Formats: sequence, structure tokens, C-alpha cells
Amino acid sequence: MTSELTATGASRTVPGAVTTFQVASPDLEAVVRNLSALRLADMFASDGDTPALRLVWANDTEGQCGYVITETPVADGEYPPLSDIAPAAFIEECEIYEQFGIRPATGKPLNRIMLPPHADLPTLGRRPPTEPEEVRAPHSVAGEAFEFPFGPVRQAGVESLYYGLVTSGEEVVDLYLFTWHKHRGLEWRMGGKTPQQALFLAERAEGLSAVAQGWAFAAAAEAATGTRPPDGAQRTRAIALELERLYNHAAAMAALCQSTGLAVGQSAAEIALERLLRLNARAFGHRYLFGVVAVGGVSRSPDHDAIRQDLPGAYGEFKRAAAALLSTNSFVDRLEATGILTIDQARRLGLVGPVARATGLAADTRLVPGGPYSTAAGTEPAIATATAGDVLARFTVMLAEAADSVRLIGEFLDAGLGANTGELRQATAEGGGGSGLGWAESPRGEALSWLQLDDAGRIARARRRPGTGAASTTPAGPRTCSPTSRSSRPASG
Amino acid sequence: MTLWFVRGLRRGVVTTRYPARPDESARFLPAPPAFRPGALTLAVAGRLAETCPSGALHVVQEEDGGVLVFDVGRCTACGRCAAEAPQAVTSSGAFELAATDRSVLIKRITLRGEEQ
Repeated sequence: MTSELTATGASRTVPGAVTTFQVASPDLEAVVRNLSALRLADMFASDGDTPALRLVWANDTEGQCGYVITETPVADGEYPPLSDIAPAAFIEECEIYEQFGIRPATGKPLNRIMLPPHADLPTLGRRPPTEPEEVRAPHSVAGEAFEFPFGPVRQAGVESLYYGLVTSGEEVVDLYLFTWHKHRGLEWRMGGKTPQQALFLAERAEGLSAVAQGWAFAAAAEAATGTRPPDGAQRTRAIALELERLYNHAAAMAALCQSTGLAVGQSAAEIALERLLRLNARAFGHRYLFGVVAVGGVSRSPDHDAIRQDLPGAYGEFKRAAAALLSTNSFVDRLEATGILTIDQARRLGLVGPVARATGLAADTRLVPGGPYSTAAGTEPAIATATAGDVLARFTVMLAEAADSVRLIGEFLDAGLGANTGELRQATAEGGGGSGLGWAESPRGEALSWLQLDDAGRIARARRRPGTGAASTTPAGPRTCSPTSRSSRPASG
Repeated sequence: MTLWFVRGLRRGVVTTRYPARPDESARFLPAPPAFRPGALTLAVAGRLAETCPSGALHVVQEEDGGVLVFDVGRCTACGRCAAEAPQAVTSSGAFELAATDRSVLIKRITLRGEEQ
């Protein structure tokens, strides 16, 4: 891979699990074709005298896990149409156009992602020379077709997305999404803050993944400043992350029961969920584990006794509900052969998390070397996969992950966490000027953060990508990935 | 479905009066701040308002001195104000909040004059 990149203009390599290459704009298309065996994890731009386009590629190959970043200055406002090669890039192409006015060279239609049509364009970065084409709203549906609106406000924990289903009665002839209803501009609010100040916003970008989001963000800041958190703090983060996975999987089980009309099963899963949330509160002082991660380490050590006493009971409740559900034919029948995704579709769309693993893709950022999962014996995660790609496969993957989370928490507690404050947090270096990529495996998959700091150590550009995969808001995503891959990315970011 | 019918009957009604018993973990939970007016100068209050990430604190100047306005409804109990000025701010310990009127959640704390 490196030799291919070198041939097309590589100039800089950062040691470790992340490798960064400078790629000239004319070479970008060839580089993307070379890298298409990897997963396009993220794509974003940053402002400056010349806007820069950055592509983050994940290598999910066992034993070689890591990331490749390509940086390309875009001087003339256009870059090669990357979504023609990597379909997962389309949403990002639209987003980058809204933010910085640079666009794919083909002039293909782009949709509004973050800003509604009535908003001045842009309110974020550089002004595009022309407005995005094919703005969908307001619009009209003519002929025999009619529009079946769904959303944007719906019950339960589903994101505010407006689905426009255009149908002639039986066949769906078009499907489009409006995603801006809850966009809060968090990346831009982080500008000018210190990483520790901005961590508050990063956790709240996706509250159900506060640990994963906070960890990815803090790791990006630590990479930018050359800070290494103490091993005990890393293990504390891992315990919080596994507790987060457990309660989210309990919530997913309850959501499956709700969607299959099994009210008693839903209650059983929610009892397990409530016990896990109370365990979080007892162990870390917050039901949703906010405030655990700090830049350079963690803010507190967990209550060991609380975890050892309460976890078996709470997980026992989880297991009993899961076992009863798997022996209920009316439940299993509704999951089997529903929402099937093939491994090729998962690759093409850049999917991550249990949804991707249920198709057979063994992608998991916990396998990237250097983190707490690779430093002590017994703390390597057992990556659960399935091949059917349906909702039942996702459910069984989540059950296996929950069991492994319980095992991992025990291993991390046994490995020791460090008790005093000095072992909890490493002070970050003064000043800045660097950039860094951070990641964590949230219950829904890979969460990514990229930060660029100015000379004073304040954030010049923050990029964050929740754990739902690069293309999970494309029309093929939410409909087929239900119930656990629903994206909150454009709307929350 | 018999399994679920029996499970539902066996579990019965689990709703209880609130609180069924004191919550052991209550003392660990984040709570909005309590202010020591005697230690709140205009300078300290200004720092607190700048620190608050959710905009729950702001300072207003009135004829008879400064006032720190605390909007409990915007507070996320993040603890940054207590970390910024521990001599002036502590955790209130009250994490269960309810009011019948939004205005009840707006607290006004009169600031101490600056030392001469």
C-alpha cells in the first residue's frame, strides 16, 4: 500500500497506527482507486488559504489494523468525483460543498445535508460559487406518483430524519432524506476552545455513546499533542466503554421487542437496561457515563466493588431476557431474513459495528494496536461475527458482544486501574500546532475524531464522525440497517 | 406466547411509590451547583459565566451591584464551575428538580463587592 502511495505523491509518514500522506490533487483519483480495498471511514475538508481535503481510510485486516489519511490541497475549487469510486463518500461530498464550496469535478447534483434550503449558504466556512443543485425542498411529485412522508419527528430514540418515499402505490420510485433538523454545528462550536473544554460538546454529540465519543475526541487531542494516557486510565476508559456497550445492547434488545410487538419482552429488556444504568451511576457517578473521559486520561476511577457486586445480577437479567426471546418463535421469525445486508453491500457503504459484523466483516477498532485491549493478556476482544446479514444475525452478534464485554470488564479490573490522581491523567503538553486522529469502538461501531490545534493549543478544526459508518444515511442505509445502525451523524454533528 | 404471559404474571406490577427507598448512588450523581454568596465577587462570577458550557450562568450589573443569574433549567451539572472556583461553588446534591413555572428555575445571587 505504501509503495502505491509513494508512487503517486506521498511525502510524510507519521509513526504508529496512523499514516498520513500528502497527495496532489491530480493524483487523488488514482490514489483512491489504489486504496479502494480499504474502508473509507471519513472524508472532510478544512479551511485555510487553500482548502484541504482529507480522506481517512481504515484497514480492517486482522493483524494490520490502522488508518491511512490522505491530505490534498484543493486550489481550483474542484476535486475528482470520489463517490463514483467509493459510494460511501457521497454524503461527505455534499457536506463539504456546503461548508467550503469545493465540489466533485463532474458537476453531479449535490443535496443539502446540514443546512435547510431557507438558510443562507453557507453559514460555516467558505462560500460556494453557486448553490448546490437539486435542492429537494420544497419540491413537488407529479404524475401517478405521490409522496409518503415519514418523520422528521418520530417516537423512541430514532433520529429526526425526514424520509420522502415517492411511490406509485406499490413500487418505491424514489427515496430521499432531509437530515438537517437537529444539526447543531458542534464541530464549529468547538473552534477556539481547548480540547478539554470541547470534550463537553463531543460527549453530547451522541449522548448514548458519550464514552466512545469522548474517548475518540480525547485520543485525537492526545495524538495532536503527543500525550500518552497512563495505562490504568486507558483500562478505566475501556471499562466505561464496555459498560456503555452493555446498556446500549440492552436498549437495542428492548427496541427489537417494541418493533415486534412483544411488550413483556420489552419490559424484561428494559429492566436489564435500568439495572445497567444504575450500575453505571454507582460505578462512575453518571447513568450515561458522561464526564468519565478527560483529555490525557480519565476524571475518576470506578467503584470496583459496585461493578463486581452489581454486574453479575444486571447481566443475568439481560441473559434471561435474551434466552427467552430466542426461544420465542414469533420474535425470531420476525428477525430472520429481515433487512438482509450482504458483505459486499456493507463494504461498499462503509458500514461498521454490529451491522457490519453481522454480514461477516470483522471490523472493530479495538483491534488497532496501542490501546488497552492489546497491552495485557486476556484483554483482547473476541470479535463476534455472523454471515446471514439479517436482523437476527445482528441480534446474536450483540448478545455475543455483551457476554464478551462482561468478560473484558473483569479482566480490566483484575489488571488494575491505578488509584491516585497522577495515574488517572497525564498532563497535556503546552502549545500546539499539531493534528491527530482518535478512534473508539462505540456500541454502534467505529467513532472517529480528527483535531487540528493552533499554536496556542486551541482547536482550529474539529471533525467528528459518530459510530454508524460513512454511508449510513444514504437511502440504502437506515431502511436496511434497522434497528441498530441508525445514524445521528449529519443531524447531530 | 404462553411463556411471555406467564412471565408477565410472575413479574407482576413493578411500579412503586417514589422513592421506594433512598438511592445509594445519589451521593455520586452530578448535581447543579450551590453558591456561597460571600465568596462570589464580580471577577469570580465573570469567570464562572465564561466557564459554563451551557450558558446557565451570566452576570448582570444593577444599580446596587452585580448579580449572578443562574438558570437551573440550562444547567447540565457538569461541575466545571465548582472546579473553576471551589471556594465559591459546591455541589448542591439536589439532582431531583421539579417546578411548576419556568421562572422558578431562574436564581439570582447577589455578588459581594470587590475587596478594597
